[in-house]
Amino acid sequence: MTSEEAKQILLLYRPNSAPDPEFAAALEQMRQDPALQQWFDGHCEAQAKLREKFAALPVPGNLKDAILAGRKIVRPGFWWQKPAWLAAAAMIAFLLAAGALWLRPGALERFNIYRARMVRAALHQYAMEIVTNDLRQVRQFVAKKGGPADYVIPQSLESMRVTGGGHIPWGNTAASMLCFDRGDKQMLFLFVIDRSAIKGEPGRHPKLTKISSLQTASWTEGSNTYILAGPDEPDFLRKYGVGR
Amino acid sequence: MTGSLDFENLVDLHYGGLYRFALSLTRDENAAADLTQQTFYIWAAKGHQLQDRTKAKSWLYTTLHREFLAGQRRQSRFPHHELTEVSSELPSIDPALIDHLDGKGLLSCLSEVDAIFRAPVALFYLEDHSYKDIAAILNVPLGTVKSRIARGIAQLQHLVTKTSLVPRKPKSQ
Repeated sequence: MTSEEAKQILLLYRPNSAPDPEFAAALEQMRQDPALQQWFDGHCEAQAKLREKFAALPVPGNLKDAILAGRKIVRPGFWWQKPAWLAAAAMIAFLLAAGALWLRPGALERFNIYRARMVRAALHQYAMEIVTNDLRQVRQFVAKKGGPADYVIPQSLESMRVTGGGHIPWGNTAASMLCFDRGDKQMLFLFVIDRSAIKGEPGRHPKLTKISSLQTASWTEGSNTYILAGPDEPDFLRKYGVGR
Repeated sequence: MTGSLDFENLVDLHYGGLYRFALSLTRDENAAADLTQQTFYIWAAKGHQLQDRTKAKSWLYTTLHREFLAGQRRQSRFPHHELTEVSSELPSIDPALIDHLDGKGLLSCLSEVDAIFRAPVALFYLEDHSYKDIAAILNVPLGTVKSRIARGIAQLQHLVTKTSLVPRKPKSQ
């Protein structure tokens, strides 16, 4: 085995993996070849550092909560561990209780993902593409960007100061985002998307779901699906008068 | 253990690794988070079909990779490369150069690695998957996965060296 051949084999060597006969001969050769040994030491050190860098890539703080929040609502597979008769009874009860929407659990997942994405945007990554206190300007701007412009703003939000908005791409379309300043250094976010772009959209009556540190109310009205996201507080629905 | 706790434990164990894998594929934090969530939702719906629970980790990585590929809607098939083709690219990197690299820089380098090598290289560095597991996750033969990792490592180290050797502009006051 030449030194180059040994290098080719040792390139894939991982110090903590189980002993592999594939590497034995190359490791033996390395021990007898100081130049190869030097290359190998440097290679292992570089590999360890790269592995550390990969492991240190930051993960969004709210990702786990968002996944679990979706799970709490969807939970399509929870009955699999129960006895068959219990699972059957649970399934019958489930089907009787579920509306047409609930007969499409896969579709529901899509709305959960959309909602989680919007919450992430509100918590971490939103950037107002237009900064204005004029609701009409926001409406015109999002329309140009492909987001819905025919949305109806809950009455309580109309009295708040809009600070701007933007669009968030979703598949082949976009959601419109409107940002409101409550006046107490807290923001409210209204996300609007064409209902046909989301599978398993919520119904007319607003549904409350806490995701990460934000409370959300989701509902569908006309051709649009709305998510209002803001600080988690009691009487969220009543306070903002949504769904009336 | 209830189904809910079981699910929560699974999320706890793997969401970080899955997210980093997704990030290395997409280079987009939102897309990576969506892919990670989608993977767990698919598990919630279909995971019960997996009879050998010890394979849950591989199942999750396989599913994430499939979802990524489905999103890419790739038309062309990647060619296979054999390990013997790597000889001219054998890397030699000064480990000290890696110290200058932050997470963003690392992802930037990885994004320049040929797409065909990116997923195997990410799995190689991110998690302690065996080569056999990586081959199963990516659905390619073991020899092919090894050659892709070898070539990917070579490219990545070349890019890291190139990036680290670029003189940095002094910060303006």
